[in-house]
Amino acid sequence: MPPANLEPELALLARMKRGDEAAFVALYRRHKDAVYRFALLYSGSPAVAADVTQDTFVHFMGHPNGYDPTRGAIGAWLCGIARNLARKHFQHREDATDPAQLHDDALLDESQVEAHTPLDRVLRDEAAEAVRAAVAALAPHYRDVLVLCELSELSYAEAAQVCGIDIGTVRSRLHRARAQLATRLAGYHAAGGKEAALS
Amino acid sequence: MNPDRIVDLALSDLRGALLEVNAPAALEGALAARFRRQHRAARPSLWWMPPLALLATAAVVSWMIRGPHTSPNVQAVPATLEADAGPFLALKPLDRIALEPGTTVVTSEFPRALLADWGLPVAPDRAGEPVRAETLYSAEGEALAIRLVN
Repeated sequence: MPPANLEPELALLARMKRGDEAAFVALYRRHKDAVYRFALLYSGSPAVAADVTQDTFVHFMGHPNGYDPTRGAIGAWLCGIARNLARKHFQHREDATDPAQLHDDALLDESQVEAHTPLDRVLRDEAAEAVRAAVAALAPHYRDVLVLCELSELSYAEAAQVCGIDIGTVRSRLHRARAQLATRLAGYHAAGGKEAALS
Repeated sequence: MNPDRIVDLALSDLRGALLEVNAPAALEGALAARFRRQHRAARPSLWWMPPLALLATAAVVSWMIRGPHTSPNVQAVPATLEADAGPFLALKPLDRIALEPGTTVVTSEFPRALLADWGLPVAPDRAGEPVRAETLYSAEGEALAIRLVN
């Protein structure tokens, strides 16, 4: 039985499955920005984020039965789809960061950080942009849980579902992600500039 | 400053900045159009419905015209009209009755209340009484005129 607050979305989903365009648009409007922001944080590229967002909702309209309400909210499921699509997009960048092949404290090699993306300034606010870049520089398995739990407001259980790991691993990765981010941001504050956070 | 505090503030900054970032507006129209196309394609074609409806109508009409019909449980007495009956009361326009081919007079008995269906006055206290009447029917079975028989 899904939580009561899911009922309006499930009603929209049921209408959407019957071909109701208005219901699809309503669901799209509810989740588009969250999916886009997630993809933006994941990719560091507005163009890639737009593509990932579009592909996510194309998948959604084609496979609405893939959503299982007992496993989380629609927003979390959409983030999971966006994550998989973004991973495919950056497979060449992230193949080498399989968690099984990394030590717990591994940092992403700088050559793998947004090096192949059309990275201009993503956010207008300089401080926020520095934080975004610092988050992007984390190893993917840390970055994912940080983005999902801290910036996309998914629960630990939903983040675990999206990443295919258990909740305990989510907690430990989040702890280490925050520690790594603190180190990078301390450097940023000490040097008083964005460049320090990225170096 | 406490590293956790630094991270909290930084993430709060980032969350605030992200609120100003929205999905491109053009996506909605493109996705809605795609959804429309997808569901139009998935909807079954109904081109065969009008011809099928036409065939079914033709079959029903054919059966009504040529099929067996059960006669109503009345006694047709076209040749022996009651001598003491009054004049017929037209239920249809007279010129139409005059042009009707193959009319039949049928004598039947029915509750007086049915006279109200033809717009004839019926006393409430006699509504349940049987009444004997001769009815002029068209070839299609439509009541054209009626007269009460004592």
